[in-house]
Amino acid sequence: MKLSSAKLSKESKGASPSHGGHHKKSLHSKRPSHCSVLPLRPVDQLEQWPSATVDMYNSDNNHHHHHCHQQQQQQAQTSHTSTSRSSDYLAGGRGDSGEASGAGDKWALRLLKECARAIFDKDSSKVHHLLWMLNELASPYGDCDQKLASYFLQALFCKATESGRRCFKTLTSVAEKSHSFDSARKLILKFQEVSPWTTFGHVAANGAILEALDGESKLHIIDISNTLCTQWPTLLEALATRNDDTPHLKLTVVITENIVRSVMKEISQRMEKFARLMGVPFEFNVISGPNHLGELTKEALGVLEDEAVTVNCIGALRRVSVEERASVIQMFRSLGPNVVTFVEEEADFSTTRHDFVKCFEECLKFYTSYFEMLQESFTATSNEKLMLERECSRSIVMVLACDDDQDNEGECERRERGTQWSERLNQAFSPVGFSDDVVDDVKALLKRYKAGWALAQPHQKETGLYLTWKEEPVVWVSAWKPLKHSQNYRN
Amino acid sequence: MLETMAEESISNGFMMNPVSGSNPPGVAKKKRNLPGTPDPEAEVIALSPKTLMETNRFLCEICGKGFQRDQNLQLHRRGHNLPWKLKQRSTKEVRKRVYVCPEKTCVHHHPSRALGDLTGIKKHFYRKHGEKKWKCEKCEKRYAVQSDWKAHSKTCGTREYKCDCGTLFSRRDSFITHRAFCDALAEETARVNAASGMHSLAAAGNFNYQLMGNPLDFSTVFKPNISSSNDDAIDQTRRGFSLWMGQASQGQEIQQFGSLNPGSIYSDPLVSTTSNPPALDYQLNWVFGNMVSSGNADDHQVTTSVSLPVSNVKENRPQLVSVPSLFSTQHQSHQTPSFSMSATALLQKAAQIGATSTETSFLGSFGTKCSNSQDGNKYSDLYVSNIPTTTTANDISTLNRLQMYPTKRRRMQNEDGGGGGGETRDFLGVGIQAICQPSSINGWL
Repeated sequence: MKLSSAKLSKESKGASPSHGGHHKKSLHSKRPSHCSVLPLRPVDQLEQWPSATVDMYNSDNNHHHHHCHQQQQQQAQTSHTSTSRSSDYLAGGRGDSGEASGAGDKWALRLLKECARAIFDKDSSKVHHLLWMLNELASPYGDCDQKLASYFLQALFCKATESGRRCFKTLTSVAEKSHSFDSARKLILKFQEVSPWTTFGHVAANGAILEALDGESKLHIIDISNTLCTQWPTLLEALATRNDDTPHLKLTVVITENIVRSVMKEISQRMEKFARLMGVPFEFNVISGPNHLGELTKEALGVLEDEAVTVNCIGALRRVSVEERASVIQMFRSLGPNVVTFVEEEADFSTTRHDFVKCFEECLKFYTSYFEMLQESFTATSNEKLMLERECSRSIVMVLACDDDQDNEGECERRERGTQWSERLNQAFSPVGFSDDVVDDVKALLKRYKAGWALAQPHQKETGLYLTWKEEPVVWVSAWKPLKHSQNYRN
Repeated sequence: MLETMAEESISNGFMMNPVSGSNPPGVAKKKRNLPGTPDPEAEVIALSPKTLMETNRFLCEICGKGFQRDQNLQLHRRGHNLPWKLKQRSTKEVRKRVYVCPEKTCVHHHPSRALGDLTGIKKHFYRKHGEKKWKCEKCEKRYAVQSDWKAHSKTCGTREYKCDCGTLFSRRDSFITHRAFCDALAEETARVNAASGMHSLAAAGNFNYQLMGNPLDFSTVFKPNISSSNDDAIDQTRRGFSLWMGQASQGQEIQQFGSLNPGSIYSDPLVSTTSNPPALDYQLNWVFGNMVSSGNADDHQVTTSVSLPVSNVKENRPQLVSVPSLFSTQHQSHQTPSFSMSATALLQKAAQIGATSTETSFLGSFGTKCSNSQDGNKYSDLYVSNIPTTTTANDISTLNRLQMYPTKRRRMQNEDGGGGGGETRDFLGVGIQAICQPSSINGWL
């Protein structure tokens, strides 16, 4: 089911008052056609519904002849703080990534939001209809809109039928079965090759770590991430070549995603081999037990008195349930690290967790950006892109359809923005700025990728760096040191 | 970081390594002697920062043109028909001059670490303490010294990295990350640890041959060598190693270790120093000390695997690695329950091994023939399953890992005796004390 975008652009250039896409319907639908030339526009169907939201649509109709960019801005503005905050230190509002393919291609977003609202309002007939329509139009193999429609449809369906838990479990087991070291490695390396989404955080964090631990002879890095240790080869190489004295490195990896567990054996072998190759004295441990990070202790992590400790969290904080985040941060501080680095994705699913519609919109915005980024970074037929998209489906279901009250076996995906994390972290840590050298390294890194990526440094220089995609901040990295008056476990 | 090393080598007037950044990853940086270790008799000059940064100190009074050296100014003055005077080198012995860095916090501020020439100290000062005014367009790298920047710009972006698996990379960071997880890296090890056990045994065998090629020396192996300085051992093996390294090249198979002496199948001309056995002794003790003291199968949650550093060519570890396996398998084949075999028994075996080319069946499975699959299988089994009778499961994996070393060594082809950084540290962080452990070690001695 392909969107005929060529037709789209032709049609929308006209002064027709209604917006929305002209989509080929699937072979099975039997909707009456309103238009002589093209099949039914899904939006027209909505106009039949006597609900308050139709007014919203009508008012949107009037704006159709405006530039597509403005439409998107409108949408963006409805999702509270996001755009306005980002425009504090970034130029411009939301990127116009969807513009090129025509004015009407935000049908997916609109439909999805409609459906979310309908679910919240418990308007079951509307929900039913919208779900059906989305199902007709969605496809995980289509373009961005179709993909988003497909994955969010799944989450909406689970929400409507309260089957989120079950769906999540199914998705997880399917993923685990198809997961192998080779596939995981191929996937992550390819992703890092075409997009700085993950390497941005790696480079910045490594830079901060190397500078903070310079001169130490025994390093202990506690890596709480699911990056399969792709962050560490470059660090190992830097340790080997930086100075005359190569320090001893102990790497303790804490797995937070169950899927990763199975491949860690292989990873550990490779890392050890590589460290030998680099000539770095190396020790590697994997910890995959605790469901709750707050349960970790110095002993469990194997932290010794004479080690210079650093904690490196990549996408780990968002996996902690919201109520426990403060205590986990205190736990980090109790390890007595020299520096702590955090990398998180910019989205707020946390403060909105009690407001389904807002959370949905925020979620949709984030994944739209992500999917579009994937679309532009990979080739059209890339298998890796498909796999990355599929991996999102679990997160989306988890955030939207699984109640936080239930114990989700330690899985949680409530992202927060850098500023929000900073507020939390300021309770136990003080920020460490990234040096000019590290910033240079990051800029150089971004230069190696396709256009569209940039580095943004917020006005208060200390609270980290942002990776921006089409001028929207997407990834946040920051470095911290424990607050002075904390009990110092070293010296 | 890398620039510092490069400039310090320049200031010492010799280049052990090409300009920074050109070392392919996968080759540990060669550790040099500390730069700035001057002649104690030299005259120490301390120039002020202003003086160091001055570009043209000698000015022509006519046209104002500046020169860095007085000689150049004098030559220039000839052009103005001005009286000029070229200083001759003074007849008396000129005391060598060394320069210290004016920056108090700098390592080179102290006369004992002064640098040998004026250009060197100038460049050092700029690089370490100066503002980085020159920036590479392509990669954002900044330099304080213009010549560094020029040199970098020439090569920036032109470098390509090739992995063993054949993939080409234009980016160093993706090359490094790829390499760490590449199957080619794993394959080397897999080949060594192959199910047939052939290659690994061959490697073990070859190493052994060289060690046992000399029956006389072999007897010294079991001499207690704990008290002897380990540095000695390392020095001696260092030489042997570089020879070996010199001939081995990346990715080469066991056959590389060929070119045997006509007289003996077992001796390996690559390691022609006779000093190996004492080193071996140290390593033997160390290895067995390790096996006794290791074994940290603890937490159900934590799986610890200690990786052994092979940081420089100097350390003879790969060679030693094979030895315990050899002896352990030997034990197995002769059904000895533990490592605490008597020295005389071992010597007898050694004599057997070294004496003739018609080996015992035990030896027949090893080495140059590499074709005895039956025995090979037997030994591979021994590697995996029989060894537990004397060691813990962790030790097997340690052993297997130890087996990887010979391969790893091959990869560091650029190392020819440089590395090390002066580390005489023990291998696993196992102290010398561990080597002197009473239990199985004494069995050897």
